[in-house]
Amino acid sequence: MSQVYFEDVEPGYEVGPVVKNPTREQLDAFTTVWGSQTGRFTSDEAAQKEGFSGVILPGNMSMALLAQVLTEWAGPDGKLKRLECDFRRYVQPGDTLNCVGLVTDTETEDGENRVVMDVYIENQRGERALQGTALALLPNRP
Amino acid sequence: MPDADDIMANLDYNRDVVGVDYDVGTHEVTEEQVIGFAKAIGETNPMYLDKEFAAKSLHGTLIAPPAYYTSIRLESAPDAEVKFGTTGFNASQHCEFYEPMKVGDTISAKTQVSNVYAKTGRTGTMVFTVRRTTYTNQHGRDVMMVESSMVRRDMNQ
Repeated sequence: MSQVYFEDVEPGYEVGPVVKNPTREQLDAFTTVWGSQTGRFTSDEAAQKEGFSGVILPGNMSMALLAQVLTEWAGPDGKLKRLECDFRRYVQPGDTLNCVGLVTDTETEDGENRVVMDVYIENQRGERALQGTALALLPNRP
Repeated sequence: MPDADDIMANLDYNRDVVGVDYDVGTHEVTEEQVIGFAKAIGETNPMYLDKEFAAKSLHGTLIAPPAYYTSIRLESAPDAEVKFGTTGFNASQHCEFYEPMKVGDTISAKTQVSNVYAKTGRTGTMVFTVRRTTYTNQHGRDVMMVESSMVRRDMNQ
């Protein structure tokens, strides 16, 4: 696993897009661990009663997908400090999700190398399912 | 169309729970759950996966990925029980990660409904319930905070 350094990053730098294809099996594994009782995440029938074509992903799971893209990028010595997202469209198993971070600002303050990003997940229809901001800390190049 | 203030004045919900913290259980951070979760979401960072690598790190042990909180099962807490609209959705989520959860930690969580408010826009009125959950380790230090906002609305509007 490689390490990205603060010196490598400037406004306009892009993380990803990293493509995620959440499957029904992953959704079931997630809701089992999480203990969700809400029908729309576990039952096609319950989801259809609410007007969806089938089960949808909990917002928590989409957050976890995006967080993973950011922690993977930040590497062993980087840190994700903040993630803040609006849920704008629902996500379903089988969707193709492009996970993206776009650096908008970098600053060093209180000994921390802060990288501020706009983050989003875009689906196969070009719609932003999740949109928000993130703050990551990166190490200096040795 | 009634404005947001009118909606809030007449809204049927449990006002007593707003701003009150409730304990929602403790969680032991285990090697099995950290590695299992890290693999399930596709992490490759050895801090989450490789015991020997992690033992030699600053933390001295495996740490949990930030999104690990999504795998912690909490007890339920009293809800604001907002009676409005026909359906509810996740509107947004805001996480602050202060320090990592480590294998061997005992994490206790407390949660509160921090706010209930209405907003009227071009697609009608929506009522938001904001819940803030704080996770604290056995040393009494907050390790993270999650603020989730649920929205209720009338889909027939």
